[in-house]
Amino acid sequence: MKHFDAVIVGSGASGGAVAYTLCRAGYRVAVLEKGRLIRREEFSKDELAYCRRDIVTPCLFDEYHLIEEKVGEKWVATPTYESGWSFWNGNIVGGSSNLMSGMLHRMHPDDFRLKSKYGEIEGANVVDWPISYEELEPYYTMAEEVVGISGLAQKHPFAPWRSTPDFPQPPTKENEVVKLFDKSCRALGITPLVTPRAVLSKEKGHRNACYYSNFCGSYGCSSGAKGSSTEALLFPALATGKLTLMSHTYVKSLESTKEQVTSVVVIDTVTGKESRITADIFVLAAQAHESVRLLLNSKNRHHPNGLSNSSGELGKNLLFSAGGSGQGELHRESLKGIGFEALMERGLFVNRSILDWYYIDHWWDGRFKGGSVEFMFEHQNIISRACKNNEEGGKLIWGKALGERVAKRFKESKSIRFEIFNDWLPNDDCFVTVDEAYRDKYGMPVGKLRIAGHPHDLKVGNYLAKKCEAVLEEMGAKNIYSSVSSLPPQNLIAGGCRFGDDPKSSVLNKDCRSHDIPNLYVADASFMPTGGSVAYTWTIYANAFRVADHIVRDLSET
Amino acid sequence: MTRRDFLATSAAAGLSVSLHAQEADAETKTLEAALPLIAAVQQHMFPEAGSLPSAKAMDAVTFLKETITHGSYDRDIRRFVIEGAQELDRRTKGKFLTMNHAKKEAALRSYEESRYGSNWLTRIMTLTMEAIFSDPIYGSNIGQKGWKSVGSSGGVPRPKERYIAL
Ligand SMILES: Cc1cc2nc3c(=O)[nH]c(=O)nc-3n(C[C@H](O)[C@H](O)[C@H](O)COP(=O)(O)OP(=O)(O)OC[C@H]3O[C@@H](n4cnc5c(N)ncnc54)[C@H](O)[C@@H]3O)c2cc1C
Ligand code: SF4
Repeated sequence: MKHFDAVIVGSGASGGAVAYTLCRAGYRVAVLEKGRLIRREEFSKDELAYCRRDIVTPCLFDEYHLIEEKVGEKWVATPTYESGWSFWNGNIVGGSSNLMSGMLHRMHPDDFRLKSKYGEIEGANVVDWPISYEELEPYYTMAEEVVGISGLAQKHPFAPWRSTPDFPQPPTKENEVVKLFDKSCRALGITPLVTPRAVLSKEKGHRNACYYSNFCGSYGCSSGAKGSSTEALLFPALATGKLTLMSHTYVKSLESTKEQVTSVVVIDTVTGKESRITADIFVLAAQAHESVRLLLNSKNRHHPNGLSNSSGELGKNLLFSAGGSGQGELHRESLKGIGFEALMERGLFVNRSILDWYYIDHWWDGRFKGGSVEFMFEHQNIISRACKNNEEGGKLIWGKALGERVAKRFKESKSIRFEIFNDWLPNDDCFVTVDEAYRDKYGMPVGKLRIAGHPHDLKVGNYLAKKCEAVLEEMGAKNIYSSVSSLPPQNLIAGGCRFGDDPKSSVLNKDCRSHDIPNLYVADASFMPTGGSVAYTWTIYANAFRVADHIVRDLSET
Repeated sequence: MTRRDFLATSAAAGLSVSLHAQEADAETKTLEAALPLIAAVQQHMFPEAGSLPSAKAMDAVTFLKETITHGSYDRDIRRFVIEGAQELDRRTKGKFLTMNHAKKEAALRSYEESRYGSNWLTRIMTLTMEAIFSDPIYGSNIGQKGWKSVGSSGGVPRPKERYIAL
């Protein structure tokens, strides 16, 4: 049996950050990843493979989730192999971080004390975090440096304060459309901000600068510019000689006594062989819903309700990111202020976000927590754009008319899109359990996700969507629409292992160590009691670096 | 379309969730038999002399066959593609291939009236779009003519193998 100082389950954003710190501190670490390694030089912009088939995620007939939604008055559970609605996000070495678009934001200091700042909301389990922004700030800064986040420090009432004057790298190049965007925002009294991005504008060590490939989100990066776990964290960790990176290694469960985790049970996904790996410390970083599932599937006679579940809180208060998205078309014939050729230039980013509505305090609209908004071009995937809007009056368009329509869409316009991020309020109808009757191909019960948003989330999302539509209108966009719903985005998941000071009401302590089992940590986003109104990944990176420092402290004492 | 949608509205023959081994052989045969009809539907949707290259010139039917029989393709949808073609064949009494343009149009529009037919036609259209606009490594989009027709080109690096060499 192999023994390590620490075993980390999952090689994505959070697992990579812990491995990086531990290996550099000289500890022997094993990272266990069920997916395979795809190297930088193996990535390509193959839309069919990366975006239209389950190739970097498991086949849903082999591994799936049960999604429980309310239909009328009843909760109805549907396996994802039935619905095709996958809750996998990237199951290769480096996890989903390989495939992210890398638009990152720090959470606002007030997000750490939502309850005391904004008060209770009926039907929502809002609590304050046991740590403050001040405690996480150094790690946001560390992530900026280590992961490589480009951007521009700008003053704004809702921009979180920073301990360094500016980003380590200047922003990535921008399409000329930003001139139109910035002008339109100012005309409406809105402050446009440059979006921080986990994309290198300049080379950094073994990683090249971004070459503006035009196909970023959902694709692996061929230059190493994207701040994925693989490029930014695992390669440097491997360089220490301390990391054993085990791909094709599916973790079934953890074995424990009452006081400590003793081993993980793994299956080699190529040979099907089962074995055990032991360590002093065990760290879960399998993405929020899967870390919860592992803890539930590890129940034993000492911990009959799952590991780290003496509070009964394990799996509860699952979070997504609330909000929605919208879009409008910029047409050649009505384009204002910039040239059409410049608009059509491939690859350059829009890189704009708006924080003006992070908190609303308006004589008419009222006072409430709002959210952040990101502007970008519509994803440039060719097949998916060609397939869009080819109906009229409920009938498919085909033949010559179809060709003309598709060619016009591509040659005469470009669509600009916005994504809204507001708090997904934690509530009693959003949680993870497992269902013994539904098992994956390794024989383990799959995660069952009951999903319901709080009605307040929709109200906020709709409010923000109207504001964004006004920006697009001011830009002269046509066919503007938006969609805000209570359906979750599957790629932004948090919660389920709340951290807190009270072992009776939380799963982890403020260091993200299990209240019940001292050698068990959870490093992914499951610790988050509330999600803030930005995408999670910068916070995931930062917190995992913070947790890693606590683990180093632990290991140095043993 | 989700699986739920088309399962709920499938034709009388229905769709079974699991395929037995011996059924796979039979399925290959029925697919082969259905291909000429599927090719004719693709060609009707993507004809010559349009703004996009034609389904025939792009050999979209070979793409369709290779795509739906690849391990990465959803087996229920594969079955749906085949059964939907059989259903169209039944409705047109085996005459679809010999119909003139106007009759084909009428037959497909009539098929589209049913939810099942409409779902099937959408699926064939999507598979043909995938052919014309996928990387040429998948056998269609020959000479990148699909991309060029919309003034676009794929991203770089292009794939060297299909499906990341699954
Ligand atoms: C297309 C896309 C775009 C995105 N864009 C953005 C963005 O612009 N901004 C932003 O903030 N975030 C974005 N994200 C989200 C971001 O990628 C995630 O928040 C982040 O990667 C989560 O980190 P993690 O460590 O929790 O999980 P992951 O990075 O997903 O890593 C988890 C790993 O654990 C492995 N694993 C799970 N279970 C097991 C098991 N039982 N045994 C072994 N291994 C296991 C998985 O295979 C996976 O590799 C995006 C995500 C996607 C998919
Ligand atoms: S090269 Fe730039 S745009 Fe392309 S995937 Fe990498 S980071 Fe994204």
